Amino acid sequence: MWEAIAFYSLAFFLVFFAFKTITVPNPIHAALYLVLTMIGLGAAFFNLGAQFIAGVQMIVYAGAVMVLFVMVLMLFDLKAELRSFSKGLFSGGLKVMSAALLAGLAIGAANSSVAILDTQDAAKPTMDVTRQLGILLYTKYLYAFEALGILLLAVAVGVVAVSRIKGGTHAQH
Amino acid sequence: MGIDSFEFTVNLLKMIVIFMMMVQIVPLLVWVERRGSAFIQNRLGPNRVGPLGLMQLLADAVKFLTKQEFVPGRGYPALFYIAPVVAMIPAALAFGAIPLSMPVNVDAFDWLGQHWGPYVFKFQSYEIGIGIVFVLGVSSLAAFGVLLAGYGSNNKYALFGALRASAQTISYELAMGLAIVGVILLFGSFNFADIVNAQAAPLNFMLAGHKVELGFLPNWGIFFQPLGAVILFAAMFAETNRLPFDLPEAEGELVAGYHTEYAGFKFNMFFIGEYGHMLVASALMVTFYFGGYTLYPFLTPETAPKIMAPIAAMFGWSTTSTAVSLLGALLLHVVLLVKMVIFLWIFIHVRWTLPRFRYDQLMDLGWRKMLPWALFNTIATAVLILVMRHNWGA
Amino acid sequence: MSQLLPVIVLAIFVIIFGVTLLFLASLISEKAPDNEVQDESYECGLPSDTSGPTKIPIKFYLTAILFILFDIEIIFMYPWALTYNDFLNGGAGVYILASMGVFLAVFVFGLFWEIKSKALEWE
Repeated sequence: MWEAIAFYSLAFFLVFFAFKTITVPNPIHAALYLVLTMIGLGAAFFNLGAQFIAGVQMIVYAGAVMVLFVMVLMLFDLKAELRSFSKGLFSGGLKVMSAALLAGLAIGAANSSVAILDTQDAAKPTMDVTRQLGILLYTKYLYAFEALGILLLAVAVGVVAVSRIKGGTHAQH
Repeated sequence: MGIDSFEFTVNLLKMIVIFMMMVQIVPLLVWVERRGSAFIQNRLGPNRVGPLGLMQLLADAVKFLTKQEFVPGRGYPALFYIAPVVAMIPAALAFGAIPLSMPVNVDAFDWLGQHWGPYVFKFQSYEIGIGIVFVLGVSSLAAFGVLLAGYGSNNKYALFGALRASAQTISYELAMGLAIVGVILLFGSFNFADIVNAQAAPLNFMLAGHKVELGFLPNWGIFFQPLGAVILFAAMFAETNRLPFDLPEAEGELVAGYHTEYAGFKFNMFFIGEYGHMLVASALMVTFYFGGYTLYPFLTPETAPKIMAPIAAMFGWSTTSTAVSLLGALLLHVVLLVKMVIFLWIFIHVRWTLPRFRYDQLMDLGWRKMLPWALFNTIATAVLILVMRHNWGA
Repeated sequence: MSQLLPVIVLAIFVIIFGVTLLFLASLISEKAPDNEVQDESYECGLPSDTSGPTKIPIKFYLTAILFILFDIEIIFMYPWALTYNDFLNGGAGVYILASMGVFLAVFVFGLFWEIKSKALEWE
């Protein structure tokens, strides 16, 4: 029973923070609600038994990506949005489409989480999951792993190149 | 957190006590810092208020409580108030995951007419399977307290200080993460308890297929990872914004950096966060490299209860196995505290010995020197482990 | 979930502790006077000379992005370090070292290129 209460309150807070992210007018507050959403996502991963991924979510997403977001938002002196909701036909169409997408996702999620709160069978030691992840990653998905290294190198080079665009502040002479 | 109400209550109390331990260390550390720095600088330090100046911190606490309540005019009050609380959370959460002593075994007993089963209480707020990754994860959240403080103050010096502090913090997190990879390669586990238990044995390593054992030395990580220990310790200085990396709070340069506009207890809470991070850093150093709460030949989880049993009989305390287990755990906890105090003293001593780094020197050190050396440490550790633990005979 | 609950309880306790202390401090202390001088930001007593948005170097952004990239690479080394001994015992030690070696070669190349191209110069 306590598990159910904990799970539903986690789910409620996660949805609440995500909702506040998109509706609050001040951009820094929106970024901070997004941080809380990421932390909640980490808790949700932990709940599902993917403990290492929860840790990675906290380290990379909540600790690196969101720090970047918040730092960049603080670099620009943004005023709060004057109007939270934009008007017009195009944005109206977008709103209907995203509401439909959200409804579809919610129904799909509800259908596929039929027995999600049933107690797991005899608790496996959690190390097994992380070790299995490690072994799989370096045997079956080795190619994806190496390709990811190359991709990160491409991003690093791209970031430095973009920051040196001609006519920018960092352009090379 | 517990199957029945007794276990739940004990775990809850344990969590609160460990957190309050972190909070109460702050006045003690500040006193040690002020007296210690005074002796290093050949002056006296606070010695008027109370014996040896110990009441000075109580007076300071009262002063902080009664300072004027202040919000900068065009600041953002919500962020301004949240920032000190957010600064305390990562240190508290990280400190809870580190084992402070061996687990205590409580036998079954009858009380209030009910049969309470045998329990095992871990001597930490909670045990997380992925211990190290969890501590790293919540430590990365430390950058947010700083950013919120700088932004909420609406003061461009505070904002600059906050951006520089968070850039410094994230740069040194890389070297920290890599140094920890070395430790994981060595011990093969994320769990702190496994790492400490592996160090409660004589020094052993595989050499050309045979197991070499040096009985007089414990299996501490420092003997296997000296470079990694130095890198981790130096990176921890930068994470906690302590000198020589404390440009973000530099007096005389940025006024007081990101906590310029803070007064009273909110200012004190930033220091609870900073000293809490120092505690976590010392605890991590001791756990990874210096045996944690064990001291191999004399004080290990096996020998500690055996040592405490005759002492308990001598003093007339109860000698049930529960009491002996608890006393053994307390003895090992004292071992950990002594080791942590040594590292805390090193933190304080370094602060008053080294001059401060300039910001570009600081970032240069983090990206161009520490990160390559940490990479080298990881690669060398991996190659050495492969060479030494390979079964050459088979 | 049973492992996560104490973490959430501790986080809530820390928040309550902080908020209670702040509330106590606000009860005991005097309120700041609400005039214009009090509201100015502190600049060592000198009057503010610049107003409007502050210009901040873009190097902070570069540092943060490069930090994300290298952090992801370091995260990949954690399961590797965890299962390294398992691979060794299974006889695949050279394989696991070589596979991470390729990844590390790319990583080291990226790091040294970025150092050499002075992307983080002055910082």
